[in-house]
Amino acid sequence: MTDIRSHFHQELADLEQTLLNVADQAEQMVGMAVDAICIPDMELAARVVALDNQIDRIYLDVHNRWLTLMARQQPMASDLRMMSVLLHLNTTLERMGDQCVNIAKMAQVTFGLPRSERIIAQIREMGDLVRQMIRTGVEALVRRDIDEARLLPAMDEPVDRLNRNMYREVVECGPDPSLLEWATRMMMVSRALERIGDQVVDIAEQTAFLLTGEMMEFNENGISGTG
Amino acid sequence: MEMLEKDQEIDLTIIPPSGPAPAERSAVRARDLSVFYGDFQAVKDIDLACVANRITALIGPSGCGKSTVIRSFNRMNDLIPSARVEGQILFDDVDIYGPGVDPVEVRRRVGMVFQKPNPFPKSIYDNVAWGAKVNGFKGEMDTLVEEALRQAVLWDEVKDKLKESGYSLSGGQQQRLCIARAIAVKPEIVLMDEPTSALDPVATLRIEELLQDLKERYTIIIVTHNMQQAARASDYTAFFNMNAERAGYLVEYGRTEDIFTKPREKTTEDYITGRFG
Ligand SMILES: Nc1ncnc2c1ncn2[C@@H]1O[C@H](COP(=O)(O)OP(=O)(O)O)[C@@H](O)[C@H]1O
Ligand SMILES: [Mg+2]
Repeated sequence: MTDIRSHFHQELADLEQTLLNVADQAEQMVGMAVDAICIPDMELAARVVALDNQIDRIYLDVHNRWLTLMARQQPMASDLRMMSVLLHLNTTLERMGDQCVNIAKMAQVTFGLPRSERIIAQIREMGDLVRQMIRTGVEALVRRDIDEARLLPAMDEPVDRLNRNMYREVVECGPDPSLLEWATRMMMVSRALERIGDQVVDIAEQTAFLLTGEMMEFNENGISGTG
Repeated sequence: MEMLEKDQEIDLTIIPPSGPAPAERSAVRARDLSVFYGDFQAVKDIDLACVANRITALIGPSGCGKSTVIRSFNRMNDLIPSARVEGQILFDDVDIYGPGVDPVEVRRRVGMVFQKPNPFPKSIYDNVAWGAKVNGFKGEMDTLVEEALRQAVLWDEVKDKLKESGYSLSGGQQQRLCIARAIAVKPEIVLMDEPTSALDPVATLRIEELLQDLKERYTIIIVTHNMQQAARASDYTAFFNMNAERAGYLVEYGRTEDIFTKPREKTTEDYITGRFG
């Protein structure tokens, strides 16, 4: 009995570790995808796609292991909350990988097009902010630190602001039609980075749920409980 | 039932925010309950208000006093010579251990179903009719028996063989027969001590479903060693543990969904996640 249960807790810890590694990988993929745009570098873009395939495989594996644990162990209390968090995390990270692929594809289709350094600088800034968010979100989860989790909505604000600003930047490219194709694609890159930021806030919400048992919506207006 | 007013306000120290809504009234309540077997204190200072028309599950490690507590709700402990009860069991604000209270009347109003189905060596019909006969029931016995068997969801299976022995039934049917027998005397509360531990999973599930129907009419208190059963079938869960002297005490009591998703006490958490001991 004791052995079965401690085996379960080991498996729970292993699943979490697997997903934390995926989160690290996603953070690096954001960096690579942004570099693929900014350098620009086709090879980096291809590597992002390959890494995402890896994430997809891990996603399926985690899902199967998760189902087995659920069926065999019927977890309760904090174990049950952890299971819920792991399922969420798995989906969220898989989607983050997809967003990185979206960015990488933009790098491929815009390769060689004329570009605006102002927009490049803004994409870089967003990429740096989002990577910092991922690191903070993961750390909050690892440390079971709700205060750190609560930092995420504020960290997401400048990302949202830069994304809104991107539209104006692209419009300002208007007088130079040769820039327009590249610039409109950059709006999609910006949008993908903004989505990743939201996904990290989602992870922070999950961390708060794990720790409190309450589901809270983190948004720019603060934190509202729904539990 | 005019004495219910007071009990409508359930002591929040017993059932904190996660507990019953204010509108729910307690049907029976242990107050400072301690039970001794000779010099040994089996349970200590239990405060527990069970909500009317709800299912309360008592869970906890073996020997923590669940059976002792549930037996004190209908004075079954009186039948154990060494047992001594301190504190109160309040039923409509009347202490059932108070002077002048008739334990037989208590046991009519608070029925009990045991771990092993224990039908009498009599016909199915007589098993159900027995309690009412003892209590001098003057009405239409056939109707009473049918009604009890229907409530126990056994009628369709036995209506053509009411004269056959109770022993001719399967284990799950025997347990439903015992439930029919318990409810035939129209109790207000039905106590069940591990009522499914001798049954297979299908029979177990049928009893659990039956409980959901029965709670419309009765208040149910069930001891179970099966946490999944408590999680599936109860509305409130009380978790008991033992202290260093092996006396049982109430660790935590609240809505079942809260106990199994976000217990407040670390001891509860450790027990239900299997990190105990
Ligand atoms: N009739 C009895 N005589 C003496 N001790 C008893 C008797 N019944 C129970 N006990 C003791 O009281 C404690 C609680 O028992 P019980 O109420 O049966 O616990 P549970 O139902 O939680 O397993 C145990 O230590 C048990 O040995
Ligand atoms: Mg027992």
